[in-house]
Amino acid sequence: MKVRYLWVLFICTGFVLGNLMAAVPGFGAEMTAYEIVKKSEDLLDQAKDSQMDILMTLINKNGNRREQNLAAYIKKGEDDSSKSMLFFLSPADVKGTSFLVWSEPGKDDQQWLYLPALKRIRQISASGKGESFMGTEFTFFDMGSHDIDDYTFTLLGEEDVNNEQCYTIEAIPKKVEFYNKIVLWIRKGNFIPARADFYDTKGAYLKQGIFSDVQNIQGINTPTHIEMHNQLNKRSTTLDMTNIVYDKGLQDDIFTQRYMKRGK
Amino acid sequence: MGIYPLQAGAYEYEGETLMLSLGGYLQSGARYAFYSDTPDEYPSIELGIDLNADIGSKTSFKMFIQVQDDGKVIAPDNGLLFNEFNKIFQDKNPSIDIDEAYLDLFTENMDFRIGIQKFAWGRLDEINPTDNLNTEDFTQGGTNEENDRKIGAPAVKTTMYTDLANIEFAWIPQYVPYRLSTSEERWFPGVLKPPGVIATDTAAGDIPVMSFYQDIEMPGRYMSYSQYGVRVSKYIGGFDVSLSFYRGYNTIPITSGPTDLTIELRDLLSLDYSISAKTTLVPEIHKMNVYGFDFTTTAGSFTIRGEYAYYKNKYFNRKLDSVLKEELTQEKQDNIMDDFMKAYIDSEGNESVQTFRIEPAIALQKDSMKYGIGIDYIYGDTSISVQAIQEFVPDYDDERPIYFIKDGFDTVLTVSFKQFFLQNILEANLDGAYNLEFKEYLIKPSVRYKFTETLHFTLGAIFLDGKEHDSLIGQFQKNDEMFATLKCYF
Repeated sequence: MKVRYLWVLFICTGFVLGNLMAAVPGFGAEMTAYEIVKKSEDLLDQAKDSQMDILMTLINKNGNRREQNLAAYIKKGEDDSSKSMLFFLSPADVKGTSFLVWSEPGKDDQQWLYLPALKRIRQISASGKGESFMGTEFTFFDMGSHDIDDYTFTLLGEEDVNNEQCYTIEAIPKKVEFYNKIVLWIRKGNFIPARADFYDTKGAYLKQGIFSDVQNIQGINTPTHIEMHNQLNKRSTTLDMTNIVYDKGLQDDIFTQRYMKRGK
Repeated sequence: MGIYPLQAGAYEYEGETLMLSLGGYLQSGARYAFYSDTPDEYPSIELGIDLNADIGSKTSFKMFIQVQDDGKVIAPDNGLLFNEFNKIFQDKNPSIDIDEAYLDLFTENMDFRIGIQKFAWGRLDEINPTDNLNTEDFTQGGTNEENDRKIGAPAVKTTMYTDLANIEFAWIPQYVPYRLSTSEERWFPGVLKPPGVIATDTAAGDIPVMSFYQDIEMPGRYMSYSQYGVRVSKYIGGFDVSLSFYRGYNTIPITSGPTDLTIELRDLLSLDYSISAKTTLVPEIHKMNVYGFDFTTTAGSFTIRGEYAYYKNKYFNRKLDSVLKEELTQEKQDNIMDDFMKAYIDSEGNESVQTFRIEPAIALQKDSMKYGIGIDYIYGDTSISVQAIQEFVPDYDDERPIYFIKDGFDTVLTVSFKQFFLQNILEANLDGAYNLEFKEYLIKPSVRYKFTETLHFTLGAIFLDGKEHDSLIGQFQKNDEMFATLKCYF
């Protein structure tokens, strides 16, 4: 089963899983770390499609800020496949750029980039996933799809994050590629993650994700403000999602090269 | 509904059925020539205005206009401000260019675009053998970006989206000529400058040559003079592939060179005479067919792109010095002298100076093929792209050499390297090309720094060299320069 636990990117690019596993324990029951993660994933991943506007803010170590506006469209397909489209709306030098991803289980993602200055759509390799996405503190891996069965989860205990009680869970990848370890704080109240700490392949503390401003949108609790703080270079990226719409019934046409050129 | 500034400074109007956005940039630039004996290029300023309108969900309109005070123009013509679609030598300054202006209509399975537009066929970078619908502006020697070089053509485009494939049909009713600098300007092609003197081993000795340039005579507004192209594209098993066909005019400058030979008889007894030549280079256009194929796919960490085109009935320019030498053989001179003497005698010695017109065949038809492959590698903030592109003329004739082809081949290796720093605030670029046959190169390093999202500074240089003065790059071998631009988006 392929699921997308790092729903940061579910929100940004929407690679989401299709058929979830059967029932998971509900509130009040003793839950394993895996079950907590699974529950969180299920709650975040209810919509068949979604669209939103994103304000992406890049903050350097001196606190200087740069902003980019994007529009994101996401749609689940059959057999755990998904498609997503990002349109860059500003600043002017990237306006009109679009990024299309088709994901299928067991295959490398198919990715296309349209640069209006070239007027050409370029197919791009799905590798380099450990690298920065568009100069942000998110990597392509962060933006990509992940199977929670690729991780081993351990419940470390409970802690407060911003005065909210959370489960603290350690996620160890069975095959270390980009992160040696991820520590997650998942809210006990609604099973929405509050924080994630990422450790690089050598085990060094790399970056911290903060997930806040949870809003109930069409019955789905959705964090609408995400921060990623890089502990090494002291830079940060924030994502602020607005105009989120779930299950609008997005047509497949949107996720085509035709629409990459046509734009939002 | 309302009007409000976007972050980048553009203005938008959003109504129920109409969305308008108005943006653009103001750019100033300066160039410093490394060789002082080359034509100057003065500071320039350019205003770009980009208007986009969505009318409902089925219609949109785009217009992009550039207003320039162009530092390359040395002797501006004081004609209309708007650059024209029927002239090669656009020497207006300041000038206004309608880069693109088109209306889009979208239906469920078809898109229509009508207006001044640019096409982008093929998968290679900068050099696309299958991409011939738009002519190019060569007033910067081809050293600027591909999309900036392209001249928008008034055209109709229809794209059909079917399960089988996407089919694009383009029709250009009226040819739009390429653009060249005037002969005094910095980026005028050296190969279009006939030699000042032709050395002959005949009695005439060295023949001085004066050259003149004529603008194009446009083809008539008839259906048979229009151009069209069809491109069928499909995504199959990880490959984006396209087949294309183009029927239209050559996109590179082809000329004829009618030449007036003036003979002056200085002394009849010793048969002392001199010949001088006045050559007028006249643009010629010829229709050709281009059969194309291109693809792109990924393999591991790499993107692979390829393109192939077969040119049927393509024309090339023969080397001017060889053409003139061919026209000025002793036998041909003797024939002319016979005519001269006959007229001289008939005029009882009054016509000691006579002019004869010769029409050397400069344009030469040869089928050819051009193909290339490119590999891209992106790793985080670093990207590198390399390409190998070759043109092959199967029945190349050594006795009648043509420009930019040696022994039937022209092979170019290109590299494009880009590195971002500081969260994409600083960008370093290195673009280069090397020609294997002509041993010539072009290197263009540049850095761009974003003071803010709306204020960008670019500093770069162009280095060119070639062993031959009449090769593609070699003709500009003294045009090395540094450039700086400041671009403010609004």
